[in-house]
Amino acid sequence: MTLLTVENLQTHLHLQRGILRAVDGVSLHVDGGETLGLVGESGSGKTMTGLSLLRLLPEGSGRIAGGSIRLDGTELTELSETTLARDIRGSRIAMIMQDPMTSLNPVFSIGDQVGSPLRNHGIARGARLRSAVIDVLQRVRIPSPDQRLGDYPHQFSGGQRQRVVAAMAIGCTPRLLIADEPTTALDVTIQVQIIALLRRIQGETGAGIILITHDLGVAASLCHRIAVMYAGQIVETAPVRRLYRAPAHPYTRALLAAIPRLGDKRARLAAIPGQPPSLIDPPIGCRFAPRCAERMDKCAQAPPLTDLGDGHTASCWKLGTA
Amino acid sequence: MPRFLLHRLLHGALSILGASIIIFVISRLSGDPILLLLPNDAPASVIAAMRADLGLDRPLWTQYLIFLQHALTGDFGRSYRWQMPALKLILDRLPATIELASCGLLFSVAIALPIGVLSAVHRGGWIDRIGRLFAMLGQAMPAFWVGLLLILVFAIKLDWLPAFGQGGPSHVILPAIALGWYPVAAQTRVIRSAMLDVLDSDHIRLARALGTPERQIVWKYALRNAAIPLLTMLGVYFAGMLGGSFVVETIFAWPGVGRTVVEAVFSRDFPVVQAGVLFTAILFVASNLLVDLSYGLVDPRIRDAR
Repeated sequence: MTLLTVENLQTHLHLQRGILRAVDGVSLHVDGGETLGLVGESGSGKTMTGLSLLRLLPEGSGRIAGGSIRLDGTELTELSETTLARDIRGSRIAMIMQDPMTSLNPVFSIGDQVGSPLRNHGIARGARLRSAVIDVLQRVRIPSPDQRLGDYPHQFSGGQRQRVVAAMAIGCTPRLLIADEPTTALDVTIQVQIIALLRRIQGETGAGIILITHDLGVAASLCHRIAVMYAGQIVETAPVRRLYRAPAHPYTRALLAAIPRLGDKRARLAAIPGQPPSLIDPPIGCRFAPRCAERMDKCAQAPPLTDLGDGHTASCWKLGTA
Repeated sequence: MPRFLLHRLLHGALSILGASIIIFVISRLSGDPILLLLPNDAPASVIAAMRADLGLDRPLWTQYLIFLQHALTGDFGRSYRWQMPALKLILDRLPATIELASCGLLFSVAIALPIGVLSAVHRGGWIDRIGRLFAMLGQAMPAFWVGLLLILVFAIKLDWLPAFGQGGPSHVILPAIALGWYPVAAQTRVIRSAMLDVLDSDHIRLARALGTPERQIVWKYALRNAAIPLLTMLGVYFAGMLGGSFVVETIFAWPGVGRTVVEAVFSRDFPVVQAGVLFTAILFVASNLLVDLSYGLVDPRIRDAR
């Protein structure tokens, strides 16, 4: 059952240098219980896509310029700011951010911060709040949570803090969880724990997850499907195995080739030559063309989205001609 | 915590000792008090006798040690002019000074806090612009000028409030505004920039992402973070108001320590000057210590670091 449908999303940042098209025509969908990975380089628009879903764009400059975001049939782009805060953010869509060291308020206790969404969304109040908070902390495996309610963020390790952030996010049993690089700031062993935690939360609540990451390894271990973003657009979407075995877009292939492997005898890491284009004045046609090894004359025009079957789609002229 | 407290107390004691040396030396640079106490035609023998009587004929460092020894037992000598213990003279005036400084501080925070917070929330909006105007006015108008204006408008023209002296609660309003006027500007700017910093932080972004109402974000989650730099500043200003309110006290004939010390300086009444300044120094140190301790109340990280 489709939980979230995003169609032709356009997010603009109005900067002094001009309008930056951070998200330019993104379409995706997420089912309940499904994890969609959003992968790409820094600046490809992954985070902006995630923030657009909650309409948490940079104040003053960020604006959703077009497209539609439907969650369980509700059109989010038409909701008022107040309705969004009251009925959507934290209660139906929640977010886990990148850096657990800065995601928690340093001068409020864990109990207060985990309890805040529960209180604000009317899940638990007064005397029942304490036990509800303990319950959520237990679900994210914070040891002896009843003794830690009064503790402050600095008294927790990085991995534990990310668990606390996860507890804040899942307290109201959201339908959709947006996890923006949830493991990037953590040690490898802790990363594994957080991935396991997200998977378990999904198993318990049946929530859909959008995992934003630049780490293809993390994406492979957690996602059912992966959407690859480049320069504000999705260039390829595929079920996870299929993407890794048979990538269709040259950019996806280049990304996969750039993953260093243990025992690899090559002296240099594979890299994609060149830089991503400016999103203030993006090139007409395929945005990857200037860096693409398989570039053709046709690439000066925007390539159509080709359906390769079994939920695999990609935008590249080679697919149409092959 | 005890180690931290001990450390701060030692620091404070050293500061007060330093202040005592400075004030002792400087007050004696202002001239000979005997010449003011005795008539111009007093014979040399009388002058010498009086000088010996007051202990002013001994070497300066002996005088200081005697002063220090007495001071430690709470004896600051007798006022040359009023013929009563200098400490009592100061202590009698102290409540008035503390009252004025507290009200002045309260006034400045009551104005600066909402303007600073709202300026940050609506950056570039009309509140921000009014805040900037306030800040400019605050910096541009010295306390004596504000004091005179307040008397002219509210006491003389409108006749709403008393112009001078101490009495009921209405007496403290004008001097408190005059005293608190200047710090408003700096406090507004500190609160505004601290709030801007906090509002741009990850934890506030997360709070928003989880649907925390904006009012709660601003007045609860952001404000407590912004209170840390404000607290530092309040300590400094409160101390400054305790010690530096002599201009306002003089204009409004407020019977506080500042005015008493200024009068004592003019009459070279050394014991009173010494007792007054030293007491102000002690209050200064105490208010800074209080601020240091209160950090722990606001910021749990500091509490644990001790």
